[in-house]
Amino acid sequence: MAGGTLWKGYVHFGDTDVPVKLHSAVREERIQFHLLHKGDQVKLRQQMICAYEKQPVPTEEQSKGFEVEAGKYILVDPEELEQTNPESSRMIEVHEFVKNAQIDPIFHDRVYYLEPDIAGIQGKGYDGLVKALKEMDVAGICTWIMRKRSYFGALQASGKILRLNTLRFADEIVPVEALGLQGVPLSEKELKIGGDLINQLTAPFEPRKFENEHQKKLQDMIEKKARGEKIAVLAPKRLKPTESDQLLQVLEASLKKAA
Amino acid sequence: MAVQGIWSGTISFSLVAIPVQLVKAIEPGRVSFHLLHSKDYSRLSRRMFCPEEKKIVPPDEIIRGYEIVPDKFILMTDEELESVSPERSRTIEIVEFIDMKAVDTIYYDHPYYLVPSKGGEKAYQLLVEVMRRTNKAGVAKFVLAEREYLVLVTSREGALALTTLHYSDEILSDADIAPKKGKIEAEEAIRMKKSIEQMIEDFNPGKYADGRRKKIMDIIAAKAKEKTPVEAPAVEKEGGEGPADLVAALEESMRKVKENR
Repeated sequence: MAGGTLWKGYVHFGDTDVPVKLHSAVREERIQFHLLHKGDQVKLRQQMICAYEKQPVPTEEQSKGFEVEAGKYILVDPEELEQTNPESSRMIEVHEFVKNAQIDPIFHDRVYYLEPDIAGIQGKGYDGLVKALKEMDVAGICTWIMRKRSYFGALQASGKILRLNTLRFADEIVPVEALGLQGVPLSEKELKIGGDLINQLTAPFEPRKFENEHQKKLQDMIEKKARGEKIAVLAPKRLKPTESDQLLQVLEASLKKAA
Repeated sequence: MAVQGIWSGTISFSLVAIPVQLVKAIEPGRVSFHLLHSKDYSRLSRRMFCPEEKKIVPPDEIIRGYEIVPDKFILMTDEELESVSPERSRTIEIVEFIDMKAVDTIYYDHPYYLVPSKGGEKAYQLLVEVMRRTNKAGVAKFVLAEREYLVLVTSREGALALTTLHYSDEILSDADIAPKKGKIEAEEAIRMKKSIEQMIEDFNPGKYADGRRKKIMDIIAAKAKEKTPVEAPAVEKEGGEGPADLVAALEESMRKVKENR
């Protein structure tokens, strides 16, 4: 079942308005640990500590400063920041449509399901929009304001429903150039064998077959410890890196193994 | 290199093993304010604090505990956590390759990059180039502290990107919100297609920016003209006060990303 309604609005482009409700599409369930003080096992709290007094500082004594030069700050009040909040709106405005394949996956942030809001006056457009987006294999690039923040996203069709995929702003993505990678020449033979190997190792994507086995093992370990059993500490497996001058041979051996 | 690694280990496929570092691919784009103490304008930093002893707790005095009943904990050391899945804690093993087209974007969680460590450059580049040519992605699992991640390794502009994926049981069903079977909206779809057709363009994410950031920078610039900045008192640098460990650092970076939403 989809999560509860988070927000209501309407998708707008041209002379089309489709009222929708947003639902979360993902729910994470994970084993939670607490951070404890080793000696007395007291639950630790995160606190903001003053670098000068080395003491925790209560929220009312905290202010935000923008560092203009080392150690010098311009203070900004919460009221001033509030003024910069975008004006609230219910419109998810589609600015253009793009081919789905053009959207670089690194931009994808979180996904919401959109439910047709039948209480809306023009609720009819929903199915038509799903059909059109699907058949044209396009996404609507849109912006909207939710919880006092501006969002940028892609409106996509999936099955019978519309999804709203929030996208990261372009300047939040670390460019590959910043990684300082250096080109290394590769021979056509290495590339050919590498390609054959990857094709050999290709399978259909079936996300269901991947379970969080670790979570189960971790739960078992916790239970063992709770019963007072001893835990064998195993060293992590480390692989020996493939030497550059051995790459071709290793690829050939891999291919033989995979075939 | 300008980038700082979050994790180091090996990525492997079949018999090939490449030493790599995991680095972040997202810089939260918010204006980077510092929290200051309003009495002395000294910088604040997030530290683990023992409410009982009223003191800051250094990383080597912190341990993870699983609360089995209220206030009763099973302690887990980092070594024990690593030995839950020892084969995966230092190795990202690509178990199979898939067609990029086959991945539903709903699975995407958080992206990182992998960069080659010394000696791994050639095999790294081979994987980048071969996945680009075949339009394939590698599926792998690896463990970082208490979590096991299902990840997708892809080729992006000459680098390897690693994106954590949601497990399929974390994806909620949409069956309850899907429209009930109604009349076929063929005419409506045709009308919409016409209007969509006129609005087709290339994906150009650079056009969009969070307008709020610029407004905040304008406020700061205006204030900087009128007022002299406040000055923080000098403090001695103390070592060993950073985040407790890599996981804390990772969570810190995730928190920053989430706060920015």
